Amino acid sequence: MIKGVGGQGLYIDLTSQSIKKKPLDEQVVRKYLLGAGFLSRTLFDMIPDGTDPLGQENVLGFATGLLTGSMFPQSSRHVIAALSPLTGIWGESHAAGFWGPELKLAGYDSIIFTGAARKPVYLRIQDSTVELLDASSVWGHDVFETDTILKAKHGRNCRVLSIGQAGENLVRFAAVMNDRDRASARSGIGAVMGSKNLKAICVRGTGKLEVAEPRTYLKEMDELHRRMLANPFTPGRAEFGTTSLIELMQHIGRLPTYNMRQGVFDGYDKIGGHAINQGHLMKPRADWSCLQRCGRFTCVSEGPYAYTGGSPEFESQAALGSRCGNANLESVLYSHHLANQYGMDTISLGGTISWAMEAWEEGLLTEDDTGGIDLGWGNHESIVKLTKMIAFREGFGDLLAEGSARAAEKIGRGSERLVMAVKKQEIAGQEPRAQKSMGLAAVTAARGADHLYGFPVLDEVGFDDEIRKRFGEQYLPQMADRLDPTYKGIMVKECEDFMVVVESVGLCKYGTQIPPEFYYADIALGLKIHNGLDISVQQLKTIGERIVNLNRLFNARFGITRKDDALPDRLTKEKAPVGPSKGQVVELDRMLDEYYSSRGWNLKTGLPLKSTLKKLAL
Amino acid sequence: MSALKFVFGSPTVCTGCMICANACSMFYFKVISPTRARVRVMRFEDGLDFPLFCRNCEDAPCKEACPEGAISRTSKGVLTVNNTRCNGCGSCVKACPYDAISVNPDSGKAIKCIQCGECVKRCPVEAIWITTQKELADKDKNGRLPPLYDKHKAELYSRGEFL
Repeated sequence: MIKGVGGQGLYIDLTSQSIKKKPLDEQVVRKYLLGAGFLSRTLFDMIPDGTDPLGQENVLGFATGLLTGSMFPQSSRHVIAALSPLTGIWGESHAAGFWGPELKLAGYDSIIFTGAARKPVYLRIQDSTVELLDASSVWGHDVFETDTILKAKHGRNCRVLSIGQAGENLVRFAAVMNDRDRASARSGIGAVMGSKNLKAICVRGTGKLEVAEPRTYLKEMDELHRRMLANPFTPGRAEFGTTSLIELMQHIGRLPTYNMRQGVFDGYDKIGGHAINQGHLMKPRADWSCLQRCGRFTCVSEGPYAYTGGSPEFESQAALGSRCGNANLESVLYSHHLANQYGMDTISLGGTISWAMEAWEEGLLTEDDTGGIDLGWGNHESIVKLTKMIAFREGFGDLLAEGSARAAEKIGRGSERLVMAVKKQEIAGQEPRAQKSMGLAAVTAARGADHLYGFPVLDEVGFDDEIRKRFGEQYLPQMADRLDPTYKGIMVKECEDFMVVVESVGLCKYGTQIPPEFYYADIALGLKIHNGLDISVQQLKTIGERIVNLNRLFNARFGITRKDDALPDRLTKEKAPVGPSKGQVVELDRMLDEYYSSRGWNLKTGLPLKSTLKKLAL
Repeated sequence: MSALKFVFGSPTVCTGCMICANACSMFYFKVISPTRARVRVMRFEDGLDFPLFCRNCEDAPCKEACPEGAISRTSKGVLTVNNTRCNGCGSCVKACPYDAISVNPDSGKAIKCIQCGECVKRCPVEAIWITTQKELADKDKNGRLPPLYDKHKAELYSRGEFL
């Protein structure tokens, strides 16, 4: 029996309101682990070809990882997956917090929703009690209000996951939020929840996790904690979270600016980590078992942008700041806070608004389209106004709620070439002409443009030793050079395999990928002492590869081939105009060839070869 | 002032990571379970995380309330529960003004912090420490901490109701 898990999965059909419990299948775990791997397998089998992402037949899955709720550093995470309404392909999103551990303590590792409720409902879990309840008291309310209302009703110790108005209104980049301001933001999973009339999942678990090796558990975990705290990156992470990545990215010319026209922003210091710490940081904060505490409590104490709330991350600062040419920090913080409140992905939000701003500059959008809203670069009042209008699909916000790719299709006029997206999902805060691996990772990621699926950061600030350890001396110095496309296909493949394993065990990419403190052997140790699973490093690597291939097979069913693994022309054909990466383009085809080769995928179609699938037992 | 020791924490330093609670339940009961820990952690949206422990009160309402005489003070001043005598009636839970004693659902015995220090040594941000009222007053010279606890007392303490 697997230790350190909830032990059961919930299978809930919202149409018939039936709730079933099934024990965790050890065979599936041995092949796919839990978390992202479990959902990849389960949803591949359950979602029919030709499914409408916002239709009843879509399946919405939630899963914790094998180590979620353990004492392994940063083991707070859960995964949510469905067919994405933004991309029409594999949709997956993750968040930290306390909701995942609470679900396990209630006795469950996963929840799979099928069908759709006729009226808004929410799921309430209190240990063995699982019930669908009428959501009329919370429908129409924002994420924070929903948290407050459900805690008042079911107890202050409940952990609440919900959508805000954006999810209810089927904004295509709506997030699912938990613990108030933790976001499973990408892929528009919040809209899937909204389409199913599922407002929230309120969990209270008073149970316990029994671990496999209780006698040595604390000693082993103490050592992992010691290593995490001793890592030279940890103090900076605690001090700034990810907010000072603005300064670092400016330094390497990778800060998306003016809709990714360039990678440097004159006003970067006004929206950076130092500026936030000077006037707005209340305290670093952590999620379950987190020693790095990159989360923040921040505030704007007065004025039109006053709020108190959680974080931001670098991604939100870049998306709502430099990408929109906006150096007004208070507006960046506030629009990020509003995105949390209404439940939206800040990356797609900023990516879509910055698309509109560039189209405005080129005269492709006018006041007739926007209803009088000025879209000049850096107009922070418009950014804040649009954030709400998008969540509620008001006026011009209704068009932007479709995401930049669909909005451009509707508007036309040549605005399509300004869309900075892959497979209809907006590219995150990595100007890839300044870091080639990120350009490749954005096109190979299973959920459309995404920096986290592979999260290839080993060439970002010179992790030469790590590259030597993972790949070997022969790949240096090219692999560590962020402007050199050489060996990036090999690197991205390796990183993707590792990252899907991390998402399947419920750990954070901070501490595993950056800083690269914990690697496969540490995860294998965790699985042994926490779960009692004897899975070797080599087996873990194979599982990672298997999950990536399964995600690709899922996308192939929805029409994806090599032609879709493409960046906007701006990034592959137009030389970066200014900054440290001036003159650079992304040499995508070359990197893709190397990537497909090292994956064992067909170079023409970009799909897995039969021999590869056989090797992986798929 | 009393020289009795207790564990105390700063809500402006605590990050809410739960490592204290998980270390506690693992150390004593070999499981991960915040409801089986001798410490509670509560987060508030004004940016305060409270790590909450037995205050080792001089008048010890828990001890007074116990009908079985199961709670006594050791020679070192620590209030402890005698498991042979404790029958899990919960009188102590209702009597404690700090929600710092609870009944373990597995054993049916009352559990509380005994200042063992296992969590203190594991706190990654040194937000908790073993202290006395006098030491605490010296450390917190400007009296910054008590008002933070006062501000949220209605939600922090419930005579066991919120546990």
